Amino acid sequence: MLLSEFFTVILLLAGAFFFLAGTVGLLRFPDVYTRLHALTKADNVGLGLMVLGLALQAESWAMTGKLILIWLCVLLSSASVAHLIANAARKKGIEPWKQ
Amino acid sequence: MHTSERKKCFKLIPYDSLISILWTGCLRAMLFALTWFLLTDGVMDSWLIGGPVVLLATIASIVLLPPFSWSFIGIMRIVPVFLWRSLYAGIDVARRALHPRLPISPGLYQYRWRLPPGVPQIFMANMVSLLPGTLSAELADEYLCVHVLDQTGDFISELSIIEDYVARLFALNLIADRS
Repeated sequence: MLLSEFFTVILLLAGAFFFLAGTVGLLRFPDVYTRLHALTKADNVGLGLMVLGLALQAESWAMTGKLILIWLCVLLSSASVAHLIANAARKKGIEPWKQ
Repeated sequence: MHTSERKKCFKLIPYDSLISILWTGCLRAMLFALTWFLLTDGVMDSWLIGGPVVLLATIASIVLLPPFSWSFIGIMRIVPVFLWRSLYAGIDVARRALHPRLPISPGLYQYRWRLPPGVPQIFMANMVSLLPGTLSAELADEYLCVHVLDQTGDFISELSIIEDYVARLFALNLIADRS
């Protein structure tokens, strides 16, 4: 197996782990705010690692650039949407979960 | 005297000039052209559509988002910090989600802005949601309401440090420290 393929597999698996952790967080965390934490941060890292792993296999610079572009778009949308949902929850008067 | 006065004026409103609009337009057009190149894998025929699209996108972006000050060194400084801190944020939240006892103690915190309203505040609000343990929940002119995953952590100094980086990115001087 080529070294780059080895690293791709490792990075994809690590990315999948973060997506799994984000989903576990979505199910286990107690309220809308904490769930948003899990989704935005874990998925951002998960997708970042996957993009990195796939970029190692890219055949052209355009492909690498496209992958990074996808990551940046998802970053922007997940951060903005998380803010909008949290903001809407606050406007609705949903109190954050307290221990 | 006249020249010094003019210089002063120019310093007060440095980006409200035709030159800065042209300069920003050129930079953004290059950015849009690069995006088009990436999306089309650099196929030559596609520029028949790509050229006008890049032009229209540039005009629309100048109208919707007028030129603002930024610094290249600021970008170079904030990128590694962001990559490292967002990676840490993912590891941190994954650890908490998978931990049997679910170690979180959430709460809301109002962070008073030192950044001016507009693009810098929006940029930072978005960034905060990707940093460890913080989520921007409300954006006001004077403060940013942050939802914190773990109140026992030192999130305030982290926010303050990131605000400094964002200020440098937009080539701004922050007003004196919060009291």
